[in-house]
Amino acid sequence: MAIDPAERLLNLIIALTHARVRMTRAQIRATVVGYEASDAHLAPDEARRREAAFERMFERDKDELRRMGIPLRTVVDPTHGDEIGYKIDASDAAMPGIDFTSAEAAALALAAEYWQGATLGPDANQGLTKIASATSAAPRTPLTLGARASSTSDATATIVEARARRLAVTFDYTSASAGLSTRTVEPWQIILRAGAEYLYAYDRDRAQPRTFRLGRIHGKVTTVGKEGDYTIPQPLPEPSWGDTGTAQTAVVGLRPEAGHTIRRRGNVVGTEGDWDLVEVQYRHADAIKDEVLALAGRARVVEPRPLAQSVSQEAEAALRVAELSSTETGGGGDRG
Amino acid sequence: MAERTAPRVTRLLGIVTYLERQGEATVEELAEHFGVTPTQVRRDIELLWVSGVPGHAPQDLIDFDGWAFDEGVIRLTNSQGVGQVRLSPREGVALIGALSAVVAGGVAPEAAHTALSKLVEAVGDKDAVRSVTTGSVDPDVASTLRDAIDAHVVVELGYADANDNRTSRVIEPHRIVVIDGTPYVECYCRRAEDYRTLRVDRIISAAIGTDPVSAPASETSGFSLVPHFEAVVVADAHARWLLESFPGVAIEEAAGAVTARFGVADVAAIAGRLLTIGSALTSVDPQPLASELARQARAVLAAQG
Repeated sequence: MAIDPAERLLNLIIALTHARVRMTRAQIRATVVGYEASDAHLAPDEARRREAAFERMFERDKDELRRMGIPLRTVVDPTHGDEIGYKIDASDAAMPGIDFTSAEAAALALAAEYWQGATLGPDANQGLTKIASATSAAPRTPLTLGARASSTSDATATIVEARARRLAVTFDYTSASAGLSTRTVEPWQIILRAGAEYLYAYDRDRAQPRTFRLGRIHGKVTTVGKEGDYTIPQPLPEPSWGDTGTAQTAVVGLRPEAGHTIRRRGNVVGTEGDWDLVEVQYRHADAIKDEVLALAGRARVVEPRPLAQSVSQEAEAALRVAELSSTETGGGGDRG
Repeated sequence: MAERTAPRVTRLLGIVTYLERQGEATVEELAEHFGVTPTQVRRDIELLWVSGVPGHAPQDLIDFDGWAFDEGVIRLTNSQGVGQVRLSPREGVALIGALSAVVAGGVAPEAAHTALSKLVEAVGDKDAVRSVTTGSVDPDVASTLRDAIDAHVVVELGYADANDNRTSRVIEPHRIVVIDGTPYVECYCRRAEDYRTLRVDRIISAAIGTDPVSAPASETSGFSLVPHFEAVVVADAHARWLLESFPGVAIEEAAGAVTARFGVADVAAIAGRLLTIGSALTSVDPQPLASELARQARAVLAAQG
């Protein structure tokens, strides 16, 4: 009977952690419990079949190790020709003891709920298991705070995975300045900012680093080229936000109860009737336009004029379509 | 179905590290700590016990105190030098992403902020993900709500509804839930005499009361994921990214136009998102969604003057 894959993987981890210099594939196959060792008495066909089965199994196990974040190093030993060997350097990668309080552990447990049904769900759960091993307070489900991501796009997971293997990715993207275009980039970092996810990457077509809003990627993200295709600069240069790079200043009117994200970034410079006037810096004209629109009348752009006009134009266009649609139909349906 | 390999081995290494750091633990304590059954913990220990360095001589194996095991106490005597590793980039993004979204909502307790900064320590590749946090909610309102929830007492709110009408209402708050970075408070509203889910960023003022809550928490949490009707939106292809962000959306693209069909739970929230692609829209159905979009567009135009 074949042994439990978990047992084989655990034996492989222990063996590669203990390897003084490295272990070759042949050594792994011969000594690690769970792999079927080669046998000199087998017919050549059968021997080849088993060889291929070992290779597939070992490739799967390497993927699992990467998935778990276990640092598998390849070691080439010049005295042994070109044959690749493997080693795990566990000490660099050891989980530090982190003292999460029970309140912090409860906040962490939100992550599992947040990604429920999404590609990153199993990663969140596996991360929580690692946290549990580092702290005496177990991540538990909190009672009075919840969180959900409604979108189940797997762009983030694909990009993070590609970055770990230094694989370039390609995707369709909408930007304020260039409209819809296909981009090929070398992922550097995922940046989470004001509730939105950004990809900071080197854009091969523009030969420059750029930031991309992950929410503006269309359809699938696919990897291109081969592993280890690029290096990430150390240290990373500070990202420039947006396509123009230069910061501009807007004056936005906000109802007293509204627009706290904008308030936090800017300064209140006065009031005008029922409006607080807030001066705020921006780089993405699109982003601030969307913020003002999303406040549905509880915010207005006072300056600059072009930004105010673009807000009005968007609302006028939406109103035209909405009035057309809402007078035409009584209940909607499948008219196409 | 059998558990997948990576999560199980992650827990096996976790048990080793936990025992090394905390000393011995009972089977039940381990089960609760790692969120599995006591039977599973025993199976895990038995698997660890037969694993080791090639050769598998007795001194090469992970070892436990056998006498203690018979008493239900797990005491590690040899780890063979293995243990838990730092968070992988994907695990790091999953945990940091979720916490950042909650913190960005502005309603998170202080513990979420401190947990976020400690988390960064646990990630193997520190450059993989970075969190720049800002809040969208008045911090005083957020802390008042949290205090009231913890103390099980009412809160008196000044609230601006979707039509920007200001109302004052007394609510019995049960839970704060952050959906796509927007915080809501699930509560029983004494004015409406019914359950309500209110946007925290529309709360103008909040004062904690003394009256205890009387209505039990609603059982239908995750309200915004329950669709009320199906919408059909046709737009230019360059607005596809926004339509793709709607939960459960089905999109067809043909000749530069996309048709998106999706369930609508929170009409106002969906209309607010559609407003941001106003100039790309061709049609919006059915009528309740179109009317809400028209209402919000008029509100923007009125504000803009």
